[in-house]
Amino acid sequence: MFFKRVVALLGLVLAACARSSTGDSVLVVLDSSLDKEAYSVFWDGLVDKGYSLTFRSHKDARPAVVEDEVAQFNHVVVFAPDSKNLPQDLTPQSLVALLDKGTNLLLALSSKKQTTINTLASEFSLVLPPPGTPLISHFPARDTPATVVPVPPPHAHPVLTAGLPPVWFSGVPFAYTPNPLLLPLLNAPAEAFAADTTSDAGADAVVEAADRAGEGLWAGSSLALAAGFQATTGARATFVGGVEMFSNEFAQKELPQGKLSGNKQFAQDVASWSFQESNALRIDKVKHHRVNETEPRETYTINDNVVFTMHVSKFNSNKDTWEPYSGIQDMQLEFTMLDPHIRTALSPVPGQPGEYSVTFRVPDRHGVFKFIVDHKRKGWTHLQSTTVVPVVPPQHDEYPRFLSAAWPYYIGAMSTSVGFVLFSALWLAGDDREGKKKGIKTE
Amino acid sequence: MKLSLLVLSSLLAARETLAGQLSLQQARFSVLGGDVSPLRQEPISLSPANEPDPVRLGPSDTLKLAFTVVTKEQDSDAEPKGVQPHQTFVRFFDKQSGEEGIVPVRVAQSGKAKFELSMARPPSSLPPTPLQGNETAPLTVSLLMGSFDHSPYSLQLFDLYLPPSQPAPEHPDEKTFHPQPEIQHTFRPEQKLPSKFVSGLAALVVVGGPWVVLLGLLSQVPLSTPHLLSPSILPFTVSLTALEALLFYYWADLKLGQVLAYGAAVGLVTVISGKTALEKRGEWRLQGKK
Repeated sequence: MFFKRVVALLGLVLAACARSSTGDSVLVVLDSSLDKEAYSVFWDGLVDKGYSLTFRSHKDARPAVVEDEVAQFNHVVVFAPDSKNLPQDLTPQSLVALLDKGTNLLLALSSKKQTTINTLASEFSLVLPPPGTPLISHFPARDTPATVVPVPPPHAHPVLTAGLPPVWFSGVPFAYTPNPLLLPLLNAPAEAFAADTTSDAGADAVVEAADRAGEGLWAGSSLALAAGFQATTGARATFVGGVEMFSNEFAQKELPQGKLSGNKQFAQDVASWSFQESNALRIDKVKHHRVNETEPRETYTINDNVVFTMHVSKFNSNKDTWEPYSGIQDMQLEFTMLDPHIRTALSPVPGQPGEYSVTFRVPDRHGVFKFIVDHKRKGWTHLQSTTVVPVVPPQHDEYPRFLSAAWPYYIGAMSTSVGFVLFSALWLAGDDREGKKKGIKTE
Repeated sequence: MKLSLLVLSSLLAARETLAGQLSLQQARFSVLGGDVSPLRQEPISLSPANEPDPVRLGPSDTLKLAFTVVTKEQDSDAEPKGVQPHQTFVRFFDKQSGEEGIVPVRVAQSGKAKFELSMARPPSSLPPTPLQGNETAPLTVSLLMGSFDHSPYSLQLFDLYLPPSQPAPEHPDEKTFHPQPEIQHTFRPEQKLPSKFVSGLAALVVVGGPWVVLLGLLSQVPLSTPHLLSPSILPFTVSLTALEALLFYYWADLKLGQVLAYGAAVGLVTVISGKTALEKRGEWRLQGKK
């Protein structure tokens, strides 16, 4: 709990001076064989948004990614597809440790060699074809090599700009294994496949490879070309099948239909998701109290009517601030003791930006309950909140005092009391008749 | 829709770039029953308008496709000649779930190709077709052909109904990434109370019976209360009444601590006033004896 608060506070401090919700320093590890200028459109787009880029060759060890156990950069881009080995601070283990520290990653895979990044991808539920099998598509007929493929981006994607024109891709496709933490960013066209042959004479090899490999054919629209992974720490890692997607050449290359490709915007969309700029949410405040009260109780009594309220903000990278966000329609609240006893919709309150509220009756079971919000949707920051609250049976003085069924008992007891008082009064106030009688006799 | 647009654009672009356009000849499909008896046999038309009726396969049926891949030169009357393209795939696509399966077809050098889909031994790449209601969702079957040397060609063949299969495996956490079914708590039923009329009647009997008897008997006794307002008796009567009232109030609202405090105060007054009152009564009795 305390740790969560510190993290939230840290996030606030960082957000005050950053373009991304987590910070604006980016380390770019570039393969020495790649020309930095060939990707200047992508770098300039990032700098324009307010990121500060630090470049480093994949052979250098400085500037280090982590110093004294503290991550030195908020985001790390590794565009070193064809270097088999990376320095000590960029080994798969170090990259996973970086994710644990909340650093976001943008990683390019190699289509030619089995590199450490390719090995890392399998730890993120991505399966790569054998080295040297790039994506090939003969569709549509065009004047580029079959390995340079125009790919239509998905419709209505939570991350990508709507109406994006197709993007050029060249590189390796990979398959997903079912993992809900994965966010498909770009899938291959249905006609594309992965193959290592470069002429029609390789037709038999394609068929044989499909028979031989256990996974079947690497083909179709279920293959990924770019995929995001949101770690449970909230940090994001994006794998792209080919670094050329981000190149100036592809950004300025015309599509077969004659339009300009969508690569420039696609690259920025991918980067802004990977760097937690877009689709970043956070919980500001959680409140609970009884109906007609305003302060939370230490404990709640069974059958109490309780109001649970939560405030959610979304990061706005244009204004560089967190803004109240009421756009979540399917949030749910669970009231749990071991199992959820109640699961109900936590709906936005009309007229109150960022506020979500629900009123419900506490179950007639006592024990230690939790208010749990665990809102996970692909492509969005996971919203998780747990508040422990004991639910107790009514205190001895909280039961109804006068049940109708017991009226004879109450009235019986009361009439006895009245009778006693009446008797006392009569006896005390009465004449001493016995004495008087005696007195009369003696007279 | 998107696919057909792509195909259209590919067809248009093909004319300029590559030598010749891939096409099909003598394409036909047949469905064989479990005992290899032909159930249906039809030629495949290359025009998308003439798509045949949906094909239904039973658990032991076999679907056979046979065709020859040819290339047609544009603006030439030369006979189309058979070729072996780089890519000859049959694609099974479930529009509803987005699941897709692609099976490669082996094409001979002459362009002749045969494809068999035996439901007795289905290929693992077929998309899952779980039951929806009492039928499976149809798969759209299309043929994709691509080549390094010729323009690509794709053809939507027909809709295919397969026997039901297991649904696609799902990650155990997948369901937590979607709205989950709501849970209502079943509360214990409210305690049943007898009707208030019956309770009221019983209360009347309880209070009425003894009081009728008591008041009736009292009326037979000559009553005189000359000392009711006597300053030595009244405080005791009043404090006794207060004690009884305190007990009633305790039941209704007070807590034990309050009752003990108030009770101690009232009790002290009662003891003192009681002592006075009883002493006075004793005096009166003694006076009467004299």
